[in-house]
Amino acid sequence: MIRMQRCAACGATQYPPREVCRVCLADGLVWESADSLPARVVARTRLYHSNEPRFRSRLPLVCGLVRFETGPVAVCFLAETAAPGDAVLVRTGEDDLLEAE
Amino acid sequence: MTARSYEGVALCCPVTEPYVRRSEHGAAWFLARTLRRLLDSGGVAKHDVDGLCVSSFTLHPDTAVGFTQYVDLSPRLLEWLPMGGACGVIALRRAARAVQAGDAEIVACIAGDTANETSFRDLLANFSGFSRDAVYPYGAGGPNMSFAVIADAYMRATGATREDFGKLAVAQRANARRNPLALLRGELTLADYLAARPIAEPLHLFDCVMPCAGADGFLVMSEARARALGLPFLRVLGAIERHNAFPDDPVQLRGGWAMDRDALWAQAGIGPRDVDVVETYDDYPVISMLQFEGLDFCAEGDGPSFVRRHDFTIDGDVPHNTSGGQLSMGQAGAAGGYLGLVEAMRQLLGLADGRQVANARHALISGFGMINYDRGLCSAAAVLGRA
Repeated sequence: MIRMQRCAACGATQYPPREVCRVCLADGLVWESADSLPARVVARTRLYHSNEPRFRSRLPLVCGLVRFETGPVAVCFLAETAAPGDAVLVRTGEDDLLEAE
Repeated sequence: MTARSYEGVALCCPVTEPYVRRSEHGAAWFLARTLRRLLDSGGVAKHDVDGLCVSSFTLHPDTAVGFTQYVDLSPRLLEWLPMGGACGVIALRRAARAVQAGDAEIVACIAGDTANETSFRDLLANFSGFSRDAVYPYGAGGPNMSFAVIADAYMRATGATREDFGKLAVAQRANARRNPLALLRGELTLADYLAARPIAEPLHLFDCVMPCAGADGFLVMSEARARALGLPFLRVLGAIERHNAFPDDPVQLRGGWAMDRDALWAQAGIGPRDVDVVETYDDYPVISMLQFEGLDFCAEGDGPSFVRRHDFTIDGDVPHNTSGGQLSMGQAGAAGGYLGLVEAMRQLLGLADGRQVANARHALISGFGMINYDRGLCSAAAVLGRA
């Protein structure tokens, strides 16, 4: 699940998760939900091949890169209609196939 | 600060343990066979090799350390370089500096991997911490997915078309048809390229490398030692590397070359137009275009027009990936980071039987590796010249 981290010392946000702040190296990080955070689609692809059997029955899958307004970039599934440049809201959850829409 | 020159360093004996689609052997077998080829090619005894650089993905759980015991070698310099497509140039840099400093006299540089039903998937699933946590769960597309989004962004930013990518892939196949070591030697036309099945849009089958097993290697020593051994050798005119360049770019439209190319060409004393052979890291054609831009063969964003203006076959005006590259040779894991380097060496040493670029005097080799999360982190390049 996509979750943001905010550094208590310098305020930087980051994703993927780390045990320290990538900017100031402090280890006081606060977890923040990424659910409903605004982002913009950077690029997308439609996957016709997966290396994991659990995904194969659900191909083709649309996925891509989104950039949160706070800076970090996430790899995620995309709604069929989400195109590069579009503003989107990210939905998060435990399901592997949640989407940005 | 300007880096010191690589004066006095000799690069010799490019060798390849032939690539095969799959193998029952382990990675150590491929690496050991390559070491043996280096000894035979250089006319040196095993105990004369006092420096060793190793790269491999499937040697796991071992590293270069375990490999020394595997082959009973006692080097006084040992480098483990898990830098994927940049490992060849980086091995060259490490070995050359060790020779200059007197930390080793003869350095064997080897990279290789095995391939079987499960090795590729295992590698992808645990390629990196970020990849395991934040990429693989989203469809497990592996490098195809990562490079597809880069290609998508690149096409939107520059106007590159599938035909542009296809022109590179088709030229490389034409080159491979003159190379008995290439695994893919069947004719490939642009129509074939365009009609191939999609893998991860905009990438289709012939944009993607075929994983295989194999290994490559070369020796680095002093010019004096090479002369004493009677070995033809090459000079390192310049070499650069950079890691995690431009971390705030939202998507990778440039690698680290842009930070260091001026230093590279200044050190080499020549420019991109003086190069007779160009070997880029081509796990996908879009990445070759990033290298043309990053290393000043054309301006940033002009990759597509550069590709349209030039002929990339062996007899063309920009002989590029003259072995066929990974797209037609196959990608033998970490050996993909050596393939362009050993091919450039063969071209400059006049050893490229049947695919020799006429009067090849200078070569540019570029490396790119390790999609740790959303982009390749390692960039490297070298300029080689005939002695």
